[in-house]
Amino acid sequence: MSEVGQAGVRGFHQVDDVVWELGAEARPDMRVPARVFADRELIGQIAADRSLEQLQNVATLPGITGAALAMPDIHQGYGFPVGGVAATEPPDGVVSPGGVGYDINCGVRLLALPMTADELGGRTEPLVHEISRRVPVGTGHGSALKLAGAAFDRVLVHGPRILLAEHGIGTSQDVEHTESAGCLAGAEPGTVSERARVRGSDQLGTLGSGNHFLEVQRVARILDPQAAETFGLRADQVTVLIHSGSRGFGHQVCTDYVRTMDAVQTRYRITLPDRELACAPLNSPEGQRYLAAMACAANFAWGNRAVLAHRVRQSVARILGPHVAEGTRQVYDVAHNVAKLESHGGRMLCVHRKGATRAFAPGSMELPGAYRAVGQPVFIPGSMGTSSFVLVGRQGAMERSFGTTCHGAGRLMSRTGARRKITGAELRHQLEAQGIVVRCPSNRGLAEEAPFAYKDVERVVGVVEQAGLAGRVAQLVPLGVVKG
Amino acid sequence: MGYRWVEHTAEVEMEIEAATEEAVFADALHALGELLADGAGGDHVWREVAVGGHERAALLVEWLDELVYLAETEDLVPEDVGRIEFSHRGLVATVRCRRGSPRHVVKGATYHRLVFERSGPGFRATVVLDV
Repeated sequence: MSEVGQAGVRGFHQVDDVVWELGAEARPDMRVPARVFADRELIGQIAADRSLEQLQNVATLPGITGAALAMPDIHQGYGFPVGGVAATEPPDGVVSPGGVGYDINCGVRLLALPMTADELGGRTEPLVHEISRRVPVGTGHGSALKLAGAAFDRVLVHGPRILLAEHGIGTSQDVEHTESAGCLAGAEPGTVSERARVRGSDQLGTLGSGNHFLEVQRVARILDPQAAETFGLRADQVTVLIHSGSRGFGHQVCTDYVRTMDAVQTRYRITLPDRELACAPLNSPEGQRYLAAMACAANFAWGNRAVLAHRVRQSVARILGPHVAEGTRQVYDVAHNVAKLESHGGRMLCVHRKGATRAFAPGSMELPGAYRAVGQPVFIPGSMGTSSFVLVGRQGAMERSFGTTCHGAGRLMSRTGARRKITGAELRHQLEAQGIVVRCPSNRGLAEEAPFAYKDVERVVGVVEQAGLAGRVAQLVPLGVVKG
Repeated sequence: MGYRWVEHTAEVEMEIEAATEEAVFADALHALGELLADGAGGDHVWREVAVGGHERAALLVEWLDELVYLAETEDLVPEDVGRIEFSHRGLVATVRCRRGSPRHVVKGATYHRLVFERSGPGFRATVVLDV
């Protein structure tokens, strides 16, 4: 771990208790400062890998404005660090597919059941088991919603709204309680390759592998009663958190457009310190086509999580009864990996969030009417077996981070490092000893997501609260987990 | 000579040292096969794989992406290479795979810290995979 001394860490100086900054003059190619939201403990952890170097690379992007920002869960990625935020200004500012990542609109959806954990009682295991039967994980795609041709394209253009209209999946409130109502404008299926269609054609309603999971939880603590009541959350309530993204469809869109951008760097006279940051001006044909394809992938991801939520409701209906399924509400759904055109400070900017969550403050017209007075719900999954948090966007996010907060605990240890410390069987035993039901076909995958491989989620959310980016609303603890 | 895994906080970085360019591509396939392997004993399948590009580093990324695509769409775990031929347009190879349920842990091969260079009497390459 890196030393945090009086002179700062790797050139970053401390601005206040939870902000560290490196001036733009630190490197000749940096256009703006690099700024990290972290306390002293976290900045030491962050400095231990290449995160800060990657953040400085982001600060070199043409048209970047303000600062290259990092949330407290930042860790080393590829090109952008995970936990990175960059706002670029049209028309000459750039859009970078690597600034969104391969899992376009990886995100989190929270469902709230109309029952308490006490009322769930001994039915936790049957419920988790039923969900694991209905939700394909890893390579599985057995019960995926298979669509082709025009029906598939309509999901790319309209997202969950069309799944409700044409397939009876979800509710109108689900759609309303989704970031951007589950539909980014400007999606054009013609900008998407045939390969992406092939990869995505049987993946709607599949969880995937890696760090994707589905967790049955209990509300352990209410920390902001007014916001919790607005979001429909009560102490001891049962919730289900769904973490997945755009699957192979989004991966292929990113792959295609990183190549496209890589081929035009010379044409646009763009010089970058990292080839994976490949980008093009927002007003260029390549930039416009990427935004249209990325919107397709984002809408596909919202559709994917809508089908996953549908499978959860089917499981709830079978194990707990149809009336419980009917009363299961979607609190909200947020994106972690996306680039969006947003107005900040009176300017239209393209905000790249790579492993970061939009966290709009009270009053935003982007929020559903029911939530507008309190702010946007944000969900911060902890590591397996630890707490997750419901947050709410605060005014500080609008002033300091382009309306953004963190997205998780943030990895601390490599996957191989985690596997060296624990086997999947040992971890499964530990989780079960805590009373957590585990359904995961891969012991290797389980070990790679061991809780000690992540930072302390309570410390991470403490930083964003202290920085005024978001406030804590509720703490959720796991009852059961399904993962690939 | 061969491949090894380099520590990376979130993703997977492979480093390859090999005597020939062809061996670099073969070792990259072996490394990917290790990640995707499911331990199942399905039938062997041979596939011809063709990818375009003249620059070796980008070609290596294309190669890995093509193998990821085969794994995801045809449930094929790559195991070995029969032949590899380079041309000014790219490469053509025959690949032996095993049909199974590959772990879909790889989203894509990236250009981040991408290296393909001469190293002593042979070649060295590094690729970061998004997992």
